[in-house]
Amino acid sequence: MSIGSKDVLHVAALAELDVPASELQALVEQLGRIVDYVAQLNAVPAGEQAAPFLAGPHAAPLREDEIRPAPLARGPDAIAPEFRDGLFLVPRLGAMEDE
Amino acid sequence: MNAVATIANAVGSGRTSAASAAREVTRLLADADARGLNATLHWSATQVAREAEEVDGRIRAGAADLPLAGVPVALKDNIVTTEAPTTCGSRILERYVSPFEATVVTRLRAAGALIAAKTNLDEFAMGSSTEHSAFGRVRHPMDPDLVPGGSSGGSAALVAAGVVPAALGSETGGSVRQPASFCGIVGVKPTYGRVSRYGLVAFGSSLDCISVFGRSVDDAARVLAVISGLDSHDATTVDAPLPPAAAEARPLAGLRIGLPREYLPDDLHPGVRAGVDRAIARLRALGAIVVPVSLPHTAYAVPTYYVLAPAEAASNLARYDGARYGSRKTGTAGDLRGLYRATRGQGFGPEVRRRILVGTYVLSAGYYDAYYRKAQQVRNLLAADFSRAFREDRVDLLLTPTTPTPAFRAGEKTADPVAMYLADIFVCGASLAGLPAMSLPAGRSDGLPVGVQLIAPAFGETRMLQAAAALEAVLRGDEEVR
Repeated sequence: MSIGSKDVLHVAALAELDVPASELQALVEQLGRIVDYVAQLNAVPAGEQAAPFLAGPHAAPLREDEIRPAPLARGPDAIAPEFRDGLFLVPRLGAMEDE
Repeated sequence: MNAVATIANAVGSGRTSAASAAREVTRLLADADARGLNATLHWSATQVAREAEEVDGRIRAGAADLPLAGVPVALKDNIVTTEAPTTCGSRILERYVSPFEATVVTRLRAAGALIAAKTNLDEFAMGSSTEHSAFGRVRHPMDPDLVPGGSSGGSAALVAAGVVPAALGSETGGSVRQPASFCGIVGVKPTYGRVSRYGLVAFGSSLDCISVFGRSVDDAARVLAVISGLDSHDATTVDAPLPPAAAEARPLAGLRIGLPREYLPDDLHPGVRAGVDRAIARLRALGAIVVPVSLPHTAYAVPTYYVLAPAEAASNLARYDGARYGSRKTGTAGDLRGLYRATRGQGFGPEVRRRILVGTYVLSAGYYDAYYRKAQQVRNLLAADFSRAFREDRVDLLLTPTTPTPAFRAGEKTADPVAMYLADIFVCGASLAGLPAMSLPAGRSDGLPVGVQLIAPAFGETRMLQAAAALEAVLRGDEEVR
């Protein structure tokens, strides 16, 4: 098994995801199985200089650098959990964690 | 429900009305819901009637060019609309209604189509069985104990059940072709860049393609022609619209079809193998030349996909944090990070959480080169395999099975994520290479549909659809293959 509970909790913190203690062991096993499975890619002799694949057209189309109106059917006040005076409201950040 | 061309011709010529098509589709949607397919997440008879009234008004005013006049089309619920919620099958977007409309929706409506329903899906399009929806699993129309495939299982089930003649799904790694094969219908994934992704909720941005289901090649091709083409809202689109008559069957004499040996393993389900053999025989009878080819990196397509897609998903789904839209959970800490973690931890389902964790892991310090960078390199090798077959082996199209087995039973693969991922083994490659590919019914094995896949060079949809139409005419997809 390539992954332990410490790894899962570390990655969950990076991903800003709560992981309930009751699900931790199952996640350790499932992520270990997935990571072990994808590790077979290391057997492929790709070469250090092999270029990464680029999806889509090779040259992205360019346009004038100008602001275009984006008409919306409803404003952020209609879809935000809390919105006031043009601002999204959230709790304070709190103390930084040592991760 | 009639074929796309039949409805469009009848409504466009005034022989019937879009209002009549709207009444018919709402009756069929109600029947499908009563059957317990669980294929729809939102639909409204009032809204469909309103859309039909507008189409009928345009026709009365003399509008002549409405290629989808009165044609009901269902949308996977990760394609945004302004009238109905777009949930992505997730609690985290349970009541979210988009402030803008996807380009494909605008184009469908401009062509006279009726947006009939938003369909159920694996949460955020992550899955191969449509068992991972927060709103319950979708049932296969032929047997409720089976899965319809996924992640676009709701759209596939509605088309297969005859509720709508065509539907949109989305593909990141086979999520239209695989359910099309399981449900015995046609599923077409276009070249990456052929169809705008504007308004498709992002999963894996270098892979995502809005794709089409139809009951026939012609049905799917007519819808694809309407939604394809350049869009200033999506910089990856290419100015390459598809001609409306792309699916007219053409003689196949002299067409070279490659048969990749890596797609025909010894342990392939015998019914699937029989479907492929039958397609080969019919292609040869039509004058096509079928030759063996090799795509040597095929075995690495699934592991490559399951590094890159989760990595892109981990990045794309970072936006669901409870701050700007969607549901919010405050958590016990009472601070901002507590809000993020509670919202995401409780809002996402198990498969999405798993993929976010895998994606974050392969992108994290110390693992990036070993997993993500390596997978990017292997993706290049997979694309080069296809290029070599088309250029050096001089094949026009590739023929493969779409799936390793017919539809499987619900619950059969949910405990082992890797077993579920391997259901996509024959469809991942074309997605990673950005190529057009499609599944069409090849027959039935013990009563269950099996499909064959055609893969074409980039922007080779017209030749692929023409060959598929010719093959469809002689395959008889409802016949037993053994």
